[in-house]
Amino acid sequence: MKHIQQLSPQLVNQIAAGEVVERPASVLKELLENALDAGASKIAVELEQGGMQTIRVSDNGHGIPQDEMILALARHATSKISCLEDLEQITSLGFRGEALPSIASVSRFSLATNNNKDSNAGWILAGDGGDFADGLLPTRQACGTTVEVKNLFFNVPARKKFLKTERTELQHCEAVLRKIALSRFDVALSARHNGRSCLDLALVDTEQECVQRLGQICGKQFAEQSIYLENDAQDIKIKGRISLPTFSRSQADLQYFYVNGRAIRDKVISHAIKLAYKDVLYHGRFPAFALFLEIDPAQVDVNAHPTKHEVRFRQARYVHDFIRHTIGKAIAETMPKVEQQAAQQYREVVDDYIRAAQINSALPGDDYSGIGHTDAGNIAPGGVPRGIQEPSSAYATAALSDPIVISASELSPHTAEDAPPLGYAIAQLHGIYILAQNANGLIVVDMHAAHERIVYEKLKILHQEGELATQPLLMPLTINVSQQEAALADQHQELFAKFGFQIERFGNESIVIREIPSLLQQADVNELVRDVLADLNMFGSSEKLEQANNKLLSTMACYGSVRAHRKLTIIEMNALLREMETTERSAQCNHGRPTWVQLSVDQLDKLFKRGQ
Amino acid sequence: MQLSIARENLLKPLQQIIGAVERRQTMPALSNLLIRSNDQGLTLTATDLEVELVATLNTELGETGDATIPARKLLDICRSLPDQAQIMINSSNEKTVVSSGRSRFTLSSLPAEDFPIIDDLELDVSVVISEGDLRSLIEKTAFAMAQQDVRYYLNGLLLEVDAEYIKTVATDGHRLALSEIKHKTDVDEVRQIIVPRKGVQELQRLLTNDDNQVTVALGKNHIRVTLPNLQFTSKLIDGRFPEYQRVLPEEEGNTAKMDKLHLKQALTRASILSNEKYKGIRLIIDDNKLVVQANNPEHEEAEDEMEIDYQGERLEVGFNVVYLLDVLNALESEEVEVIIKDANSSALIVSSGKLESRYVVMPMRL
Repeated sequence: MKHIQQLSPQLVNQIAAGEVVERPASVLKELLENALDAGASKIAVELEQGGMQTIRVSDNGHGIPQDEMILALARHATSKISCLEDLEQITSLGFRGEALPSIASVSRFSLATNNNKDSNAGWILAGDGGDFADGLLPTRQACGTTVEVKNLFFNVPARKKFLKTERTELQHCEAVLRKIALSRFDVALSARHNGRSCLDLALVDTEQECVQRLGQICGKQFAEQSIYLENDAQDIKIKGRISLPTFSRSQADLQYFYVNGRAIRDKVISHAIKLAYKDVLYHGRFPAFALFLEIDPAQVDVNAHPTKHEVRFRQARYVHDFIRHTIGKAIAETMPKVEQQAAQQYREVVDDYIRAAQINSALPGDDYSGIGHTDAGNIAPGGVPRGIQEPSSAYATAALSDPIVISASELSPHTAEDAPPLGYAIAQLHGIYILAQNANGLIVVDMHAAHERIVYEKLKILHQEGELATQPLLMPLTINVSQQEAALADQHQELFAKFGFQIERFGNESIVIREIPSLLQQADVNELVRDVLADLNMFGSSEKLEQANNKLLSTMACYGSVRAHRKLTIIEMNALLREMETTERSAQCNHGRPTWVQLSVDQLDKLFKRGQ
Repeated sequence: MQLSIARENLLKPLQQIIGAVERRQTMPALSNLLIRSNDQGLTLTATDLEVELVATLNTELGETGDATIPARKLLDICRSLPDQAQIMINSSNEKTVVSSGRSRFTLSSLPAEDFPIIDDLELDVSVVISEGDLRSLIEKTAFAMAQQDVRYYLNGLLLEVDAEYIKTVATDGHRLALSEIKHKTDVDEVRQIIVPRKGVQELQRLLTNDDNQVTVALGKNHIRVTLPNLQFTSKLIDGRFPEYQRVLPEEEGNTAKMDKLHLKQALTRASILSNEKYKGIRLIIDDNKLVVQANNPEHEEAEDEMEIDYQGERLEVGFNVVYLLDVLNALESEEVEVIIKDANSSALIVSSGKLESRYVVMPMRL
């Protein structure tokens, strides 16, 4: 028989290290968080062999007093919290007092620190595997702390075996660096790997620098193709950037979410964001975002997991809806807009062209119905060829008989900025695309996709306004579910009733559906209700019912909109463009494909090497 | 096998049985017909493993034997040959040659032994009934069958046979149709079977309004209907049909009598402006007056008024207009009765004074 015995502190720390320290990246994360908690404004990271050989993190924070250094490496010793109230109001990144001793117990560790701003005389504490027999030694150290972790897992071969190649470990470390870098724009962060610089981010002051840093971390494309959002409710605040639906990723990799500065991955939040993107994102694509949520620390419990990737919200539902609503609104507002700056540029270009056109038309009897004609016509904001004075041109004649276009031609070139965002239609291409010109240049619109979205949004509004028709069932439908699901169905009767379902619990493990919404009578009600229950179980709310409705409306919209190869007149095309400008989410069709693209005059000029 | 037959004699039976052959197949044998010529005569068999149709042909027999031939191709060939043509079918192991006059078609055939035939039927009850009656029983109810419902037992027609009557019932969970005829049978206890949707549709296609006597034989897993020169066999749905008696409303209540044709026209007109997805309409039944109302999400409205025979409290009930029109199309009389207790309970619709066919429609909450 084996005897029960108290484990040695060394072994206890190694066990704890198993939870927190998985690979070099997790060490780096803990050290960076400590640096931030110490109020550092500048952090330098040095890695060797993907962090497996060396991880060195130096900061310029407030440092540790000499007499507390030994304590800093003891378990459950921290300066970050001191009582239960602190634990419930956590504002620092760490608080458990476990990271340093855990790391020290599985590496050759050294901690050099100085808490005196005016001197370079610091102290160093070093030891292998958590054994600090040598005690404190004086060293040269500016105010702040430098932690060096060498030969990670040298005394835990079982762990060491699980480390991957240098390249993989470096990637993980870089991911941690990116996460931290995004969370604190007020901290300068630099990193070197094997002596070569791999990241160098300066302190950020202005909004422009902010976007620049975002570009450095998430890629320039994201910085360009994302929109800024901000929403401030009394007790909860969110800001950040989300990608436009047309910029989506095949993986959920560019997704950064911070709660009070802490990077987290939470399923309630991912769900909220997924829903906000639901009918603008192409199937199987993921949005990219960097979002910062600020919430009263008492409202969120970060003490859910040692690595603190997960958090718990006191009011998960409220947070969920807040995020969903904010993002949903930001996406809905991505309607075509004119950028003032672009309009200004355009006016200068127009003026040039107009002058040229005037010179041309001054020449009597000059028949330029070909290229020259359309060239001049193209840039008139009214969408009317200026060749309108020439009866010989068939196109101009057609335009003359077109009352709307005529009135549009009254717009003088000097009111170019008054031209609507999507401009005026010029022609239809192969019965599929509408070509229009606006202040920036050429707009190409996918006619069917655009109209589909317009019809869909209209249908949605009509059906939201309309009364809900329900169909009571002659033969009620009984579904077998788990006990838990049956209880959920019973609890959420009201939610179901809102969508026209009447559901009752029927015995322990089955529910009976007595009434269904008339709109969904062809749908697979059985499966739908099961999906809703699964959602309720996971997220406490479900959008499946609304989605089912929308899916149906989307199909109706598809059938109810103009198909490709249908000839549209200029009036019809202009009407469609105007509707697009006022319709929410009109930049994407129901399946998430873009409905229009802009080819600016600059881009066109490049094609023809004009002015180069 | 070798035989010679007039085009007209072959074409009609082919058309009758072709419905059993599915257009797309995973089993090659199922796209073929089995032609069997023996002492009893010449038979053509088509099957999809659920429904089997066998046609018997009156023709002079050539050489006896079995063969399988691609069914749709044979039908298309027959159809396109000129009238009065004489068709020769000559089948060897792998090829079947169909020739007529100067046309000649070589078709691939499969071994006749591989052709699946429904056997061991264990038919234990049989009823003789006129073809017209059977057809009417099916026609009056089949429309209410469910389509691909998870409750598989609703995707078919209930046939109930007792000593005194034969009944058919169909429901898709929203509405129910029931039809019955008084008919003495030698069945001693009530027998219920569910014929699958496809079987019902094929049978309906085969039956005419004649007075021919047909035999309906029931087994544990099969139904076989024997018509002159034609034999229909279908597997049954193995399940329990819901207790339909429980959803049949009382025949008493607020009874409104109205002209069927007028009602149908009023409903058709009003439905133009009902919600295109679920076709809801509102019936307002008042003193000798019926108002049919419909509106759609675009806020357009239709209202149609007609005179009816009704003395009772004012009722306002919503319905899916498609369900009502289905019922009106199935009813034969000129006058119909709508019996309804209140706006939340199901409505019973029957021909005036006749209860042979009863239709139950659940109202819709608009």
